[in-house]
Amino acid sequence: MSVLRPLDKLPVLNTATILLVGTEDALVQQLADSMLKEDCASELRVHLTRSLPLPSNVNRPRIDLIVFVINLHSKYSLQNVERSLHHVDASFFLGKVCFLTTGAGRESHCSIHRNTVAMLAHTYRSPLLFCDLEVEEFRATMARRLVRMLQICAGHVPGVSALNLLSLLKSSESPSPEDP
Amino acid sequence: MLPQKTVKSFQAQNRTLQGSNSHQTKLSAWKIKQDLSNSKSILKHGQNNLVEDCGHDDNQAGDALQIAVGYFEKGPIKTSWSENKTLERHLKTVENVAWKNGLAPEEIDILLNVALSGKFGNAVNTRILKCMIPATLVSEDSVVKAVSWLCVGKCSGSTKVLFYRWLIAMFDFIDHKEQINLLYGFFFASLQDDALCPYVCHLLYLLTKKENVKPFRVRKLLDLQAKMGMQPHLQALLLLYKSFAPTLISVSLPVRKKIYFKNSENLWKTALFAARQRNQGLSPEPLKLMLGPAKVRPLKRKWNSQSIIPLLNSSNYTKECGKKMSLSDCLNSNGSFPPEQLQNFPQLLQNIHCLELPSQMGSVLSNSLLLHYINCVKDELVLLRLYYWLSQTLQEECIWYKMNNYEHGKEFSNFLDSIIRAECFLQEGFYSCEAFLYKCLPLWDGFCCQSQFLQLVSWIPFSNFSEVKPLLFDHLAQLFFTSTIYFKCSVLQSLKELLQNWLLWLSMDVHRKPVIRSPLETTLGESMNSVSKLIHYVGWLSTAAVRLESNSTFLLHFILDFYEKVCDIHINYDLPLVILFPPGIFFPALLSLDASILNQLCYIMHRYRQNLTAAKKNELLQKAKSEFNFSNKIYQEFNYYLTAMVGCLWTSRPFEKGMHIDPKILEKAGVAEYKDSLNLVHHPSLFSYAVFFLLQESPEERTINMSSIRGKKWNWYLDYLFSEGLQGLKLFIRSSIHRSSVP
Repeated sequence: MSVLRPLDKLPVLNTATILLVGTEDALVQQLADSMLKEDCASELRVHLTRSLPLPSNVNRPRIDLIVFVINLHSKYSLQNVERSLHHVDASFFLGKVCFLTTGAGRESHCSIHRNTVAMLAHTYRSPLLFCDLEVEEFRATMARRLVRMLQICAGHVPGVSALNLLSLLKSSESPSPEDP
Repeated sequence: MLPQKTVKSFQAQNRTLQGSNSHQTKLSAWKIKQDLSNSKSILKHGQNNLVEDCGHDDNQAGDALQIAVGYFEKGPIKTSWSENKTLERHLKTVENVAWKNGLAPEEIDILLNVALSGKFGNAVNTRILKCMIPATLVSEDSVVKAVSWLCVGKCSGSTKVLFYRWLIAMFDFIDHKEQINLLYGFFFASLQDDALCPYVCHLLYLLTKKENVKPFRVRKLLDLQAKMGMQPHLQALLLLYKSFAPTLISVSLPVRKKIYFKNSENLWKTALFAARQRNQGLSPEPLKLMLGPAKVRPLKRKWNSQSIIPLLNSSNYTKECGKKMSLSDCLNSNGSFPPEQLQNFPQLLQNIHCLELPSQMGSVLSNSLLLHYINCVKDELVLLRLYYWLSQTLQEECIWYKMNNYEHGKEFSNFLDSIIRAECFLQEGFYSCEAFLYKCLPLWDGFCCQSQFLQLVSWIPFSNFSEVKPLLFDHLAQLFFTSTIYFKCSVLQSLKELLQNWLLWLSMDVHRKPVIRSPLETTLGESMNSVSKLIHYVGWLSTAAVRLESNSTFLLHFILDFYEKVCDIHINYDLPLVILFPPGIFFPALLSLDASILNQLCYIMHRYRQNLTAAKKNELLQKAKSEFNFSNKIYQEFNYYLTAMVGCLWTSRPFEKGMHIDPKILEKAGVAEYKDSLNLVHHPSLFSYAVFFLLQESPEERTINMSSIRGKKWNWYLDYLFSEGLQGLKLFIRSSIHRSSVP
């Protein structure tokens, strides 16, 4: 199973699974820890990987949200994400993918421009979040936001779907309320 | 010709100081020496205080430093290998002390001379310049002397650049600046040098006073711009000139540009921060000694507990050095009133015509009297200077650009707080804050400095909403939808304040011609369009938020608060605008389980009615069609909401239009009698009131008959509801329902 599909498995009761993809092992691990600290009505599962595709011989639950972590200080992390994106089925991009960028604060260290990442996110029609994961406070806030998104993507918030959330986050294309 | 004279005499001083063969007459040399030793003793005193503070360990370092400085002063004797080693050792000593405690003014004086006289190689000069960190202050004389070395042409281009950068970075630490200002012509001439030009521009920007702006300089600058193209640093200087002398410059310049100058402070950033802290932390004694005048500096501690905002200090207040001057003396001799003497409001009123602004505009943020002054002067320059300082400082201090220094966060939020206080005081937003928000909101996590950031948002100056949206509100929306309910409420709150500020500005602007400062020279129609877009945006946010938070009462409160502002725009602000809430807000509020929400909704409907009636009346009075007539659509929409509300609450005929459910299904669900289930008695939020009302009447009763509330009892029940504080409901019923229709 080289390509990851959102709906090829049945959901597990009251379980939400997130997959973090990124080469920054330490940071991603810390982010995962902060997510697990959040209290949340659903049972959280956090899976980490450096890159896609995932090995096919392991039994894993359905993945509700994929987060690609890009470090602006390392070109390699961007290339890795770009390669991994080929192994994600198109239907995942209906709201179940987001990009998380770290390191934007220290502009002098950046080897990738913010616009490059913005373009990538735009190409894949997915939201782009910024957060400097090295700072604990920022990381905790981001973890809270991701958990919130995950709950929606897993269908645990009544009345809101992943696609619905996606349309809200891409607000620049939101229809003007004046139109009838 | 004064500047050149001073330069010469300072070079003479140099020579005596170096102990080389002097060609001066003995008398003058002796005089200068005496002068120097005088100043030395004063400076020593200050330095001793410092050293004592630092303890024994530093005493030794201080001795080593003295030796090292002495070594540099003598200059290189011969270049042998062992000599290089000593040189290296002494350099290390100087660097260590400088970065740890900073250097005393006299040491800086000597070392600057060494660095710029070119006695050592370029590399050494660079290293010396890089560690010229003041312990407290830099004396003006040293700077003048150093500048005099630039004329001799002994230092390389890169050393010159570094020196200018140093000068810009240390500008605030120079004790006074009159002599430096006298060298204005010299600096201006250095604009010719392409490599120096950006830095010289920056320096001139800091130095320029009104009297420095001369037609020939303007011509020169315009020539330069024609030659080099639109360079941001030249533009900044031109803009400053233009604000001083608008008649001299007719070219148009972009006003709202973010950052004009390359940052010169980078090299010394941490050291500067430490020096600033030292200057504030120290007891005022050594400072007073160095500054001369026996005046206690009015430290406004009230707002000024943080070090980011500079202390109040006028640009030429040390002119009366050594003399104690009374207020009247000061007025007569000088013609300008130094801001640091300003103590109370009457003083401000007396001196308002001749008040001089501080050398650093940032300090006005912490002084309410000067804010009063800024509020009433019509001088563009004042705000321009303030904006420039603000945008630089915000950029430098913002936390997520200083990752290694997170403890700094408290200080930054204090700084933002005082900006916000100043904005509230002046009742206007600063453009630099707006630009800062555009730059850093995309990186914001929505948590740190939350209240400050949201308040800054509410002070965004009025502008075209469609332009601001992609820069700001789209990012805000992204945060809004992924954050907690508390964040959502705070955002709604600050958007309400933003709307209020915009409306206030507009309602002021409608009645008078917009001044130059007003952001957009737009017609009223465009402004209204912008406001209505903001309201629609909030409507969109709220509708989605109500769904995301499953009709939370808490959230609805904040949303309805916003619409309380919206519904009264026409009457309260006299602006031709009525916008209704979207159905996604109206129905959740109408069917809410909380009586206070229903009450608020009733109040808003009542106010909408008043506004729409007033608008209709105006239209009838004016007869002639104005461009701001409300379309019938708004009245229809309002009537639709009104019918729905009256149908639910009063006549027990809910949703007669637009909803049809098969009666069989209702029967199956056991709610065949649904029609009165939303009236004032049975409405889920009012049900408990009805029960209490009935129990009051007959406390003994075991079973109560809800439908017994009718006729006269219905009226009593209404009075009971009103007495329970449902005033919105009362207003709504009084205005929208004819009481004859009591069921």
